[in-house]
Parts: sequence; structure tokens; C-alpha cells
Amino acid sequence: MPPTLPPGKQINDPSDVVRGLEQQGYITDTALATVVFLGTRLGKPVLLEGHAGLGKTEVAKVLAGFLGARLIRLQCYEGLDVNSAVYEWNYQKQLLAIKIEERTRQTVEEQEKHIFSREFLLERPLLQAIQAQDFSPVLLVDEVDRADEAFEAFLLELLSDFQITIPELGTVRARHVPHVILTSNRSRELGDALKRRCLYHWIDYPSLEKELRIVKTRLPGIEAELSNQVVRFVQSVRKLQLYKPPGIAETLDWAQALTSLGKRELDPAGVEATLGCLAKSMEDAGKITEAGVSNLIAKNPTADLRG
Amino acid sequence: MNADSGSMIPEEETLVSRIVEFCRFCRASGLSAGVKQSVDALEAARGVGVRDRDILKSALRSVLCSNKDEWEQFDDLFEAYWGSAPGSAISPRKRPPADQRLLRGFRAITTLIGKSTARDTEDDGGKAVLGATALERLRRTDFSQASQDDLPELERIAIRLLREMSLRLSRRFKSMREGRQVDLRRTIRRNISRGGDLIDLSYKARKIQQDRLVVLLDISGSMNPYSLFFLRFAYALQRHFKRVDTFLFSTQLTEITVLLRGRSPAQAMRSLAEQAAGWSGGTKIGESLREFVTCHGTRVLSRDTVFIVLSDGWDTGPPEALAEQLHTIRRRVRRVMWLNPLLGLPEYKPITRGMSAALPYIDVFAPAHNLESLLALERHLARN
Repeated sequence: MPPTLPPGKQINDPSDVVRGLEQQGYITDTALATVVFLGTRLGKPVLLEGHAGLGKTEVAKVLAGFLGARLIRLQCYEGLDVNSAVYEWNYQKQLLAIKIEERTRQTVEEQEKHIFSREFLLERPLLQAIQAQDFSPVLLVDEVDRADEAFEAFLLELLSDFQITIPELGTVRARHVPHVILTSNRSRELGDALKRRCLYHWIDYPSLEKELRIVKTRLPGIEAELSNQVVRFVQSVRKLQLYKPPGIAETLDWAQALTSLGKRELDPAGVEATLGCLAKSMEDAGKITEAGVSNLIAKNPTADLRG
Repeated sequence: MNADSGSMIPEEETLVSRIVEFCRFCRASGLSAGVKQSVDALEAARGVGVRDRDILKSALRSVLCSNKDEWEQFDDLFEAYWGSAPGSAISPRKRPPADQRLLRGFRAITTLIGKSTARDTEDDGGKAVLGATALERLRRTDFSQASQDDLPELERIAIRLLREMSLRLSRRFKSMREGRQVDLRRTIRRNISRGGDLIDLSYKARKIQQDRLVVLLDISGSMNPYSLFFLRFAYALQRHFKRVDTFLFSTQLTEITVLLRGRSPAQAMRSLAEQAAGWSGGTKIGESLREFVTCHGTRVLSRDTVFIVLSDGWDTGPPEALAEQLHTIRRRVRRVMWLNPLLGLPEYKPITRGMSAALPYIDVFAPAHNLESLLALERHLARN
């Protein structure tokens, strides 16, 4: 069952997705757009893998913005359980209700029925995601690799049936299947079954041209010279075998920092002052300095970019 | 969008069978996509249409690939099957030429297995009864000094004792971490009739989380006499710990976790033969550790990881590299253990450049030259 789009919304092919996401300020390519398109068309979850800081989470946000749908986010972590992901009973409220109704001569069965009704239910992201009444929301399951295998198994079940059984209440079945985006940093390999259920997309570091476009879109005020140098610098830094190579997020942070400092172009002093935006550990910073900051600053970037 | 649009696509009726055939081709070339993925691939192709080559490629890729390696392979597979030029025929499958290194590795491990005489089942350990003194002697025999006559027996008791040890260890983890936590939901339910006073408490079963073990085995030439037993050791650990990742290294690093998950030790050893490259070559510990940290670090290193290196510390690379990597690892795990077979020699001092550079980052530095020393590790492996 494919997700329901908001009234009046149409997505006919991947290029609609490219345009739509671009309107939200997200530069993408046909490959990713195709996968997102297929996700909405076939109702399959999209699994995005890739290093940190490459805009995996952003995909869900801009997709929601583009569709005009609600974004529901579940951040995964080790030990995430059904209580925080699906639903929980509001215990304090239940206890109060029992106290209040003490004198009403209700039978135990009646009381039980009352305090295990929807009024006392705390809906967590996954339950919210299948409760939509009008059209499909976007469900972002962020960093699913951090959750443990047991939760992954539960998620797999949910993604197959889009229904959740609450023993006290019965089964909730989705009227509108959500658009599901899962992200993973590959801190562990996900189970085969889950991967098989998803459309897979590997988000790699962007090409020079793409990264330039991203910087220009996200930071419209930046000097052309500076953005060229920044992107080239970052692209060479990624080749240095750092422990944590900078992602697009770091590029943007860094460009922002340099503009705030009033830099119009890169110079060794400026780079050293702002190195913390790029290198997230002493060792990595050391490696960049070792490679020679002035060597990494492209001499005449605009010229050979045009060529 | 694309210059090739339309032209690559054969007649409508053959399209379905060509896509299915492409899925088979991918499977034969090593992608893990199953039959279900063939159905998905057709559905995906129907979803995006076949007019645009790039879009069709992306669509099929998202269905047929499920990790980065497959993702990177896919371009070539797509080109090979659909042709880079419009309308070209299916190319024959290309097999990569046999890798020389792999062949050499194969020979090394077959000699290693040649020494191994243990039968295929792991559970025949208890049949032969060995005199107490003989057992005691074998437990203390240095692996490298064991005589040809002793080897079969030594290996047999090694399998049995190591298995017992890891079983004990995994059980201990369970009982130690049991704690009780109130299950509010069930408690409230059980106490409705008491006017909301919580009298009967229900408890949740506590989730049992074992430590994670990461084992790195040095298989360079100098370690040759020990490698077989260390593999057994790793195998035994992996049998009973849920989270163990095992790697081999010499001049490069190979992950063998999956291979050790074979049914019997002998089978596991045999499947290793097909994998290992660079067996019994030189050693670059620092370089191997660096590769480990970059490629597997995020996945397997965490606060509950016990990191175990089995190596004699003979490093042909620069000692600083080793120290730097070990330092990185040390900061991210619970404990670093270095097991060194040379430590069993009375005159040995860890003064090789590599070993002395590594020492500051090691929590447990222990010998591993005979069975007794391997068994003694139980003490260090148990959580305290």
C-alpha cells in the first residue's frame, strides 16, 4: 500500500523530487531522488547509509517540507525500547484515576477498562506515525544502527504490517502508511531482513561541483572566491585519512565561521583559527597541519574549475 | 535527461525477462539479492519507467544492493549487463584472475590445517581418558615446543578446555548482571483492586548485555607455531559470546568473524583457507591497527568492548604508528589485553621497539604460550 499524498500533491517522476527538495534548499541528484520517488510510489522504507554529516537526516526533513506532511522523528539509541518508541501508559494519571474512582463503586473490571483506555495512553513516535487521519506523515527513524537487534526486529515487523497491537486496547492499523526514512552510520551492520525490506541508498561524500552548489545554496551571501577555496580545501582534507573526515555539515559550519570573521578568501592564519570546525580531534587537526595548510589552499581555484 | 534514453531498452515483452535475468546475473556475481528482490526489481522498474537509463539504474540499485560494497560493485554490473553503449548485447561474465597472494595464503593455511588432526565434531573431547599427569604436562607445554606425537592430543584437550572456559564465562556474565526493576505497567494492573496502593510489585526481566570481545590475531611468520591454537581460542570465544569480532593481521587486516561461525572447528579452519591473504608474511601491526580503526572502529569499539591482541609484538613498521593506534583504541574500549606467547620464556623482556611502544596502553599484558596461560585468561575476561 503506497502512502497517501496530501490533496493536490503529485509526484510523477524523480525530477519532481529533485525540484521539490531543491526548493527546500536541499541539493540532490537523480540517484537519491529516484530512491525517494520509489519510496513514495511503492510505499517502501528508504534506508540511507553513509558517514556522519552528509545530510541523511536532512532528507526526511526536506521531504516532509516538500510534501507538506508532518515529520515524526524517532532517534534511536542503545537500549531504546518499546516504551519510548511505541507507547507507554501514563502511570501517574492511572494512579490518580484509581484514587478518584475509589468511591464510585465501580467493579475492578470497569476500572481496569477505564484506566487502560486511550485517555491514559502516551503515544510515542511509532504509534503516532500510523495514526494519521488525513494523509501520510514522514517517519524518520534516525541512526537505527544504534538501537539493538531486538528493537530492529520489532521495527521490521512494524514496517511489514504497519500495525501495532496494544494488549489492553487492541490493534491499531495504519490508515495511511507513512513515508519511512531510516538512517544509519554503519556503527553496526543492520540485519539482512531489515535491509531487504528497504530501498537502499549509500550517501557518499559529494563531488566538488555538488558541494559547491550546496554551499552556494545554503550560504547565499558567501564570496565566490571563498566558497571555491573552502570546498577545494575540504575535498583535499578528505583524502588525508582522518579519523573523522569532514562532512558537508562541517564544510558549511566552516564556511559560515570564515564569513563571520570577515574573510573574503582563505589564508593560513584564518584556517588555523577555525580549524576546529573541520577537525574534530587533536590528531585530525595535527594531520591537517602536518599536510601543510598553505599546500591545501588551492592557488587559483576559479580558473581550473571553469576549465 | 540522458542521451541514451530509450535506445537501450529492448521490446516491451522481453523487458521483464531481461530484468529478471539481470537480477540473476547480479546474484551470480556476488550480490546477495534473493528471489524476492527480483520481484522488487520489476516493481521498481515499473515504478520509474524505463525511458531514462540513469533512473532505471538507480532504481534497480536501491533494490538489489544492501550495503556499501554491493553499491560500489553495482555500476560495473549494470554496465556489463546492459552495455555501456545503447543496445549492446549482454557481455559474458568476467571472472577476476586468481589472486597470487590468495594462492599463497591458501598454501600456508593448508599446511597449518595439515597439522590439525582434530576430528570434525567438537564434542568428542571427553572420550579418551588421559592420565592426570599427562594432562598436566600438556597444559604446560609451550605450543611451539610440542612434539609431533603430542600435537593431536594437545589440540583435543585445547578444544575441550577452551570450550568449558568460554561457557563458564558466558554464564557468569548472565548471573552477575541480573538486577530487578519494577514493571510499572503490570504493577498498576495487579493493584487496581487495592485502590491504587502498590502492594504487589511486578518485576521486569533485566536485559542481559554481554561484553563485546574484539580479537586480533597476529598470523605473521614468527607466530606460526601458535597461530593454530590462537585460532582455536578465538573460535571457542566466538562460540559462546554473542558479540565477538575476530580479525587476522600480518601486513594487512582480514575479518574472519563470519568464517569462524562454521559448524565445527575443522570446517571453520577450512573455510579460512579460502579467505586469508598474507598468511605467514611480515608484520605491520601499526598499519593493521590503523586499518582496523578506520574500517571497523565505529562498528566494534565501544565502552563495553574488551580488545584482545594476540601477537609477539615483532613489528616491522614504525613503533609510533603502533602506539598512536593503540592509544586511540584504548580511549574507546573498556580494556585492552595483549597476549604475547614470548612472555612464557623466562628470559623474555618486552623491549622490542613495537612492544615497548605499546605497553603504556595495555591493561593486561599476559603470556599465551601454552594452554594453561590461555585458560588463565578467564580471570581477566570476567567482568569485575
